Formats: sequence, structure tokens, C-alpha cells
Amino acid sequence: MDRYLVLIVLLVFTIISALVLAWLNLLNPPTTIKTLGLTYIENTYFGPYSSMSPEAVTAIVWDYRGLDTVYETAVFFLAIVGGLSVFRGVKTRASTMKGIGLTGIAKTSTKIIAVMIVGASASIALHGHLTPGGGFQGGSTLAVAFLLIIPVFSVYSLLNMNITSEKLIATRGIALTAIGIVALLPVLKNLPLVSNISFYPSHIAGMLTSGSLFFYNLFEYIAVASGFTAVFIYLSLAGVESEEK
Amino acid sequence: MILTILLLVFSSLLSLVFVYLAVTEKNLLKAIGFSAGQSIAYSIILHVFAATDIVLTYIAVSVGIYSAVLVYVISKTEKYEV
Amino acid sequence: MSTEAFAWSILLIVIVLNSLISIYGIVYRRSLVKKLISLTMLSDTVFVIFIMIGYRIVYPSVPPIFTSLTSEDLEYLRQHAVDPLPQALVLTGIVIGMAVNALIAFGIIQAYKLQGTTDARKLVEAALKEVPEE
Repeated sequence: MDRYLVLIVLLVFTIISALVLAWLNLLNPPTTIKTLGLTYIENTYFGPYSSMSPEAVTAIVWDYRGLDTVYETAVFFLAIVGGLSVFRGVKTRASTMKGIGLTGIAKTSTKIIAVMIVGASASIALHGHLTPGGGFQGGSTLAVAFLLIIPVFSVYSLLNMNITSEKLIATRGIALTAIGIVALLPVLKNLPLVSNISFYPSHIAGMLTSGSLFFYNLFEYIAVASGFTAVFIYLSLAGVESEEK
Repeated sequence: MILTILLLVFSSLLSLVFVYLAVTEKNLLKAIGFSAGQSIAYSIILHVFAATDIVLTYIAVSVGIYSAVLVYVISKTEKYEV
Repeated sequence: MSTEAFAWSILLIVIVLNSLISIYGIVYRRSLVKKLISLTMLSDTVFVIFIMIGYRIVYPSVPPIFTSLTSEDLEYLRQHAVDPLPQALVLTGIVIGMAVNALIAFGIIQAYKLQGTTDARKLVEAALKEVPEE
């Protein structure tokens, strides 16, 4: 009961001190944004430094601050590799073991929902340069689909479908290499690293693809989804070995 | 406009409640549940702040993936904090 | 006294309290899993601070995304859009933080396999015992 008393004291303290602060008129929310943010909004589609994307956030992530994001992707790579190297010995090949999974009702509804999640995540990722979304968002949404499949169908069904963690890590490596290549290609024409509109075409077959943003989103989508799925497979297999013995 | 302010106040106080309960809870499974509740409160705040891109990532990562990873960790280790 | 200032103050105080409670959880709670939960809550609080910096209170405030590619829309966004830069920074931060926390989760499982406990103090004691005496 002590716990809830402290909680009530915290809530009352919050409301009273907020009333005092508001009465003193000390804190007022801003009504303008910084000039830098305004510059990005003005330049993202119109303006002299255009990246031909109606979505300012994706334009900053992969064009204006593209080099930052490429390095952050490198941190992502190292974090996942570090995690997986802790469990080097875990057997992840398809084995004779068969998981039971949950009941038929759960399996059928999971099938329907998983397909819907895959569709939604692809739409989030591939329209990332036009609507809210992008590679990071779509990839983490797609990982949720595998997250649902692993407990409902058991992890061995994934392994027997030949979705092993080695393959997923290889897929992730290929996608990250592709990101690196897309970032490096403009150097061939004596342009700076991670150039966008000056090297890549903004329209492909009449569709607005915003230069390199579309490719970055596509490859990051694959990389994030396969990296997280590999983590889940390792996590769900981690304790099994010792139990068998 | 009044709805924006109400949502902001409500979800802020909700997040405070969930953070406090999550930190003081002895049963780790319950603590994960409270942590997910805190994530929902924060995503309401992010929605009010017009950060649609963030909400799309944050919901998937924080409510879905974090909780699942932590539940896996607990199922391999201990369920109660001493 | 305006209602906006009241909501803004509540949010600021809640952010401060949430950070303090999370730091308490990281420092004083014994279980490593509890420390990890507190760490995720602390990083989420930091992300909310970032987004809060980029917000401006106009009605309606909209995301910085063009709905139609016209100059009227540009003028509308100039008056109503929130700052896109903090959003772009937080976006990568969430996913990278998730990967780093997965690494910590792997570490916790490995520590439990080796020592049979997730209690931070017992782990330290066990580690000290293993140091060979000179």
C-alpha cells in the first residue's frame, strides 16, 4: 500500500507544481520553429537545394543528413553482430525437432494477420518518400510479423521453411552492402558522397522516386527486418540446447 | 484545441503512473506490462506532437519488439526480482 | 494563466520525474532485467524531449509532409508544420537503441547461463571470487 501512497503524492505534486508554474507564466510553448527546420521544409521539394521528396523527414534522414544515417546503420550492424556472436554455438539448422505451436484457431488468424502486416509494412517502406514512413519504420513493422509467427507456429516451423538465421544474416549483409554502394556510386562522377538528385534521376517511368531515397528505403527495410528476425530466432533457441542435455 | 491539451495532460500523467509502477514492481512480467503501457502513453504524446514518422516506428519497436525480447529474456532467466 | 502553459508545465515536470525514477531503477534495482526495462524507459523519455523541442503550438499543427505539391501548400506548411529535424534524429535513434538493447538482452541471458543468477550484486560477488589470489 506504501507504493500507491507515493504514487498519489507524486501525482498531486505534479499537478500542483504545474498549476504554480502556469500561474507564474514561466513556461510557454513556442509558437515558431527554428530557422533551420524552416529551411528544410522550404527546400525539401521546392527551393534551390531540393531533394525532390514531399516528405521532409525522409529527405533529412537519407539526403541532407545522409552521411549520419549511413554511419548509424554501421552501428546497427555492429550491435546485431555483437549480440549474435555471444551465441556462436547455438544450433540453428533445421532439426528433427518439431514444435507443436498453438491451436488451429490461433494459427489461422495469425496467417491472415501476418499477410496483412507484410502488406502494410511494404506500403510504409516503399512509399516512404511520399507519405509518412520509410525503411526503418517498415522494417520494424515487418519484424513484428515474424515475432507473431515464432510463438504461434513454433520456431522450428520457420527453420523447416528454410528461413534460418544464417540466411537472414546474409540477406542483411547484402542489403547493407547495397546501401553502401548506393552511397558510393556518385563518387564515380566526381560528386560528393551520398549525393542524391545530382546523380540519381528524380522520376523513373513518370513516377516520383525522389532519386536515391527510394533505394535507401528499400534496402534499409530489408536490412532492419532480417536483422531483427535473426535476433528473435537466436533468442528463442538460446536456452533449448542446455535443456536437451 | 482543448482536445489536444486534454490528451497531452492525460497521457503525461498516465506515463508517470506506468513508469513508477514498472520500476517498483517485483514481478518482472508485470513490470514489462507496465513498460508497454508507458510506451502507449508516450505514443499518444508523440501523436499530439505531430510526429507521424516516429509513431510508426515507436509503436512497432516499443510495444511489440521490446516486450517480446524482454519476455524471452525472462523465460530464459528469473521471473521475480529478489 | 493559459491552459497551454499548464499542459506544457505538466509535461515538463513529468519528463523530469520519469527520468529520475528511471535513473533510480538503473542504479538501485538489483535485477538486470529491471535495469534494462528502466534503461528503455529513460531512452524513450529522451526521445520525447527531442520531439518536444521541435513542436510549436499553432492550431492545427501538422507533420512536415506535403499533401499536394503546390506553393499554397508550402505556405501552409511554413505556418503550421512542426520541425522535421528532431524527428529525423529520433527516428534512427529508436531503431539503433533497439539493436543495442537486444545486445544487452543477449548479455543478460549469457550471464544467467554462466552464474545462474540475474542479481547484479551476486554477479559481482561471483566475479570477485573467481579472481585468483596472489
